[in-house]
Amino acid sequence: MTSAPYPAVLDFDRALGDPDDAGRLFSYARCGALDDREEFPVEICRELDFLGLPRHYVPAAYGGSLHRYDEVLQLMRAVARRDLTVAIAHGKTFLGAVSVWVGGSEEQARELGRLVADGTVVSWGLTERDHGSDLLAGEVAARREPDGGYRLTGEKWLINNANRGQRICVLARTGEQGGARAYSLLMVDKQSLRGDTYRPLPAVKLHGIRGADISGIAFTDAPVPAAALIGAEGGGAETVLKSLQLTRTLCAALSLGAADQALGLAAGFALERHAYGSRLIDLPQTRHLIARSYADVLLAEATTLVAGRAIHALTGELSVVSAVTKYFVPTLVDQVVSRLSTVLGARSLLVGDTFEHGRFQKVQRDHRIVSIFDGNTVVNLHSLVNQFPQLARQARRGEVDRLGVEEAATLTAELPDFDRERLSLLPRPGGSIVLSLADGVAELAELARQGVVPDSLARNAEAIAAVAGEVGTAMAAHRPVATDVPVAAFSLAERYARCFAASAAIQLWLRNHATAGADHPLWQGGLWLEAVLVRLLDQLLPGRPDTDGDVLERLVPVLIEQQGRGDLPSLLTHPLVKGRS
Amino acid sequence: MTTASAAPAASPFTDLGTPAALESRLGDPTDPGNPLGFAAFLNADERGDLLSAGERVLDAYGLGAEFVPAALGGRLGQADHLARVLRPLFRRDVALALGHGASNLVGSVNVWSSGSAKQRRWLADVLLRNGRVAAGYTDMSTGNDVSRTAFSARVERDSLVLNGRKEIINNLARAEAVTLLARTREEAGSRSHSMVLVDMASVPRERLRFLPRYRTSGVRALYLGGLEFQDCPVPVTAVAGGFGEAMETILRAFQVTRAVLPAAAVGTVDQQLRTVMDFAVQRRLYGRAVSELPHARSLLAGAWLDLLVADCLATTVCRALHVLPGQTSVYAAAVKYLVPTLMREAVDAMAVVLGARSFLREGEHGVFQKHLRDLPVASLVHAGGTVCQATMIPQLPRMARGGWLRDDGAPAELFTMNRALPELDAERLSVMAGREDPLMAALPEVAAELAGDRVLGPLCASLVGELRRLKDQFGALAPRDRTPVASAGTFVLAERYAVLLAAAACLGVWRHNADNPNPFLRDTAWLAAALGRLAGRLGCGPETDGVPEPVFAELARRHETRRGFDLTGRRLA
Repeated sequence: MTSAPYPAVLDFDRALGDPDDAGRLFSYARCGALDDREEFPVEICRELDFLGLPRHYVPAAYGGSLHRYDEVLQLMRAVARRDLTVAIAHGKTFLGAVSVWVGGSEEQARELGRLVADGTVVSWGLTERDHGSDLLAGEVAARREPDGGYRLTGEKWLINNANRGQRICVLARTGEQGGARAYSLLMVDKQSLRGDTYRPLPAVKLHGIRGADISGIAFTDAPVPAAALIGAEGGGAETVLKSLQLTRTLCAALSLGAADQALGLAAGFALERHAYGSRLIDLPQTRHLIARSYADVLLAEATTLVAGRAIHALTGELSVVSAVTKYFVPTLVDQVVSRLSTVLGARSLLVGDTFEHGRFQKVQRDHRIVSIFDGNTVVNLHSLVNQFPQLARQARRGEVDRLGVEEAATLTAELPDFDRERLSLLPRPGGSIVLSLADGVAELAELARQGVVPDSLARNAEAIAAVAGEVGTAMAAHRPVATDVPVAAFSLAERYARCFAASAAIQLWLRNHATAGADHPLWQGGLWLEAVLVRLLDQLLPGRPDTDGDVLERLVPVLIEQQGRGDLPSLLTHPLVKGRS
Repeated sequence: MTTASAAPAASPFTDLGTPAALESRLGDPTDPGNPLGFAAFLNADERGDLLSAGERVLDAYGLGAEFVPAALGGRLGQADHLARVLRPLFRRDVALALGHGASNLVGSVNVWSSGSAKQRRWLADVLLRNGRVAAGYTDMSTGNDVSRTAFSARVERDSLVLNGRKEIINNLARAEAVTLLARTREEAGSRSHSMVLVDMASVPRERLRFLPRYRTSGVRALYLGGLEFQDCPVPVTAVAGGFGEAMETILRAFQVTRAVLPAAAVGTVDQQLRTVMDFAVQRRLYGRAVSELPHARSLLAGAWLDLLVADCLATTVCRALHVLPGQTSVYAAAVKYLVPTLMREAVDAMAVVLGARSFLREGEHGVFQKHLRDLPVASLVHAGGTVCQATMIPQLPRMARGGWLRDDGAPAELFTMNRALPELDAERLSVMAGREDPLMAALPEVAAELAGDRVLGPLCASLVGELRRLKDQFGALAPRDRTPVASAGTFVLAERYAVLLAAAACLGVWRHNADNPNPFLRDTAWLAAALGRLAGRLGCGPETDGVPEPVFAELARRHETRRGFDLTGRRLA
């Protein structure tokens, strides 16, 4: 890929400078020291403000520079590639504000847009101590006052930036009856509250992102004006669920940044270090561990590229896209990091300046939060299970948004502006990505006949399509249950997610190999595509006869080349900043 | 100091209603008022300091004696017994377990097998006084590839002159005794190294450069030290064993530690499962307890089965050190490879259930993440997974040809946990395994007995089929694939061997412990489910979804009645 599809990201990366240079504000050395002392990255967050990152959290329609969600995703990845604590601490403001972009009035959105662009920190108060992901059990209550305003009482806990945020978007019970319509969202301005109406709860000590402000806030009859209500009363849960479709998709940025770090460290070590008389990278087992990890990272990246663009191109299907992405990408990256730790051995555990500022153990600890917050693994799989009947019905009717899939997968295609009206809690028309498998397989078969891709690639794609067919049948047979979701349904959702990743990868390769990927060795002959399909088949059909040939092995020279040139190990061409460029 | 008496190890099934001695002394770890509870250990971890109250209790108990052979006044008898003694410690704090305990095993086993009478007496006295011995085998530039070390010992008249660095060594800067692996010949190869036992108090200080303490994400309280010896003279009598014999000695010692440490670390995962069970029964989600949700039950029961599998394999291989000392070079490597993998995956599944609480360093579940950070260190001590696979690979083709699917018969005493075994003798351990594989023999043997069982029959048959396939694959390996630099595909074969060995261990343990007082372990529900999971790893066997209900019921019963989750199920403090 001669030109990166995200030029703004390259500029931003360059402005941040070489993280290996301890003289840069956003350096690995500083981040390691901050983590050690559990200090909030105040100065680095300020630097990101100076560089204009908060403007990217505000949609252009409301005065910001957020035109494309896939671009902000890559910006966050660039931050996360340096440090996850910073990415989570700073990026939180997008999460705090998103409910207004999704459900607020034009006036609210413009006002908040101004504040956010100026560096106001906004946090998102959803979870409570005793209810965790069960948002509809929340007890924080907003009592309606005669003047139309509210009195807010109760405690939100494990909230990112609850202490540091000036504003907090709170989900509170406004209805007497339970259920989804009993909750509303209020954008609370902490600075306008008297000190005796709210109490900050101390930041908790964390396993990873130790410097982050994960804390809480307890309200006691805190007065909130009517204008703070986002959307209609009783519409809070719906706005949250729609907002989560955006944030859960964007969370993949954190995982990609973590993967970039871990893979870079392990590959760098394997290229320098010797054992048994050869470089580690030349020892077959180590080489294989790295090749598998690289393939998995490319798979995570491919899934995320398509998912990020799907925010614009397949907005109505985000309930599926976001659940798949949020489950699949962080879980996959946790596994990659864990596998790469075996390449680094004892160095993977070292804290401090003995080895790479302790970055590996830090990223390994930090990244575990990504599959926990913003809807954990179980929540996302459960959400997919709940959508089985819908997905099965649409599969039966053959409802596929072909144009949407093409836009989502074609990196050079113009994307429509994001339209919040198209967000839906039930997917319409359906799982277009997975349903595109058949077309993709047919195209690959044709390309194999023409000799553009190897037969083995077409066969692997066919094998995945066969699995997807079985998954579809099983989904159609699934009987919805309110509680006691059977374990089998969860494994089915996991398989569905893998079929999704496969189809996204196939579409991504098909739509770009002849253009953007033409002179990139990963794209030639479907190399990366075959590698990621092989990895998916390993999981979908464990114990299948080993027909992989050497496709994983052929990835390694590309990785070595990217690493040697100082490029990000990636499907995209992204030179990393080295030295004082 | 408690005077150690060398009584034979009691049956592990005796008096299961009473907590083990060390467990009793350490008390209920969840009691916030217990100075040896999790709150105290979490604090010590934050400070990066071993809990001194914990060290005192271990000294009063005389833990050092557990590592000293009976003939020298200690209580070191049976390896599986030692692992069980250490479990209460691993349950509470891996740092204390390694920093004031298990590291002593690593550094001393060599000396019992190869040291002079004088060295053995001296080291025994150090440990019986609750002193420490550090194992100085590695440095950062060569890591696990210890044979390439540049650390040298040169004979000059009646002195041995030491030069070079030892890095990331537990207790190095505070141990009374240190065993050092040193190069005594320039030539490459396995006869160029010698073991040196150093009395650290007598070393001239001006010849030592102490390096800054190393810090790690887990076991933050460990004193991981580094030391550079600069033309440092020690008496020539400090050589333990013959010149040039260290590589063999060390390979024997590793067999002991590779079996015992994972077996002891079962205690760590036991506690994590306990913490998550505490959460699951208390926490309500969607109107019911988490422990009532089928998906959570399945994850928890699955994690427990993996813990039981790990215990079966590790305990059996600990016993193999006594019963089959000719084979444990492979078995111990299989344990050190597979058990940490099983545990890591089990813990990841538990973390899914625990959710955000798995990420908090405080509160009643804070110990979960501490153990999560600690476990990888326990797994890495003396060889990570890849090194262990590389140890197995050159030895497996011969075992495949000579040992698998023959009617050799697995010895019952290998599995029968209440059968006392002869004292551990590292001298008897072979560096290269022989061609038999009596542990694996339990797989076809018990499978044949179970052929008529509706569930276990087909399951065992598919596992035996896998063994047959594996035998053919090892038979067809190219010469290069019989070396540590074998292809990645060969590493997969080694992994599959370890999984099948675990299946054999489960079958053997089930078959030969008909006197286990726990009816659940005498029954077959756990066995079928455990084998089903192993078969799932191999991609063979009938497909199953979830874990059978009786398994979760027993897990819940043990949790509620405070019983260990291991094979003995002893009452906890």
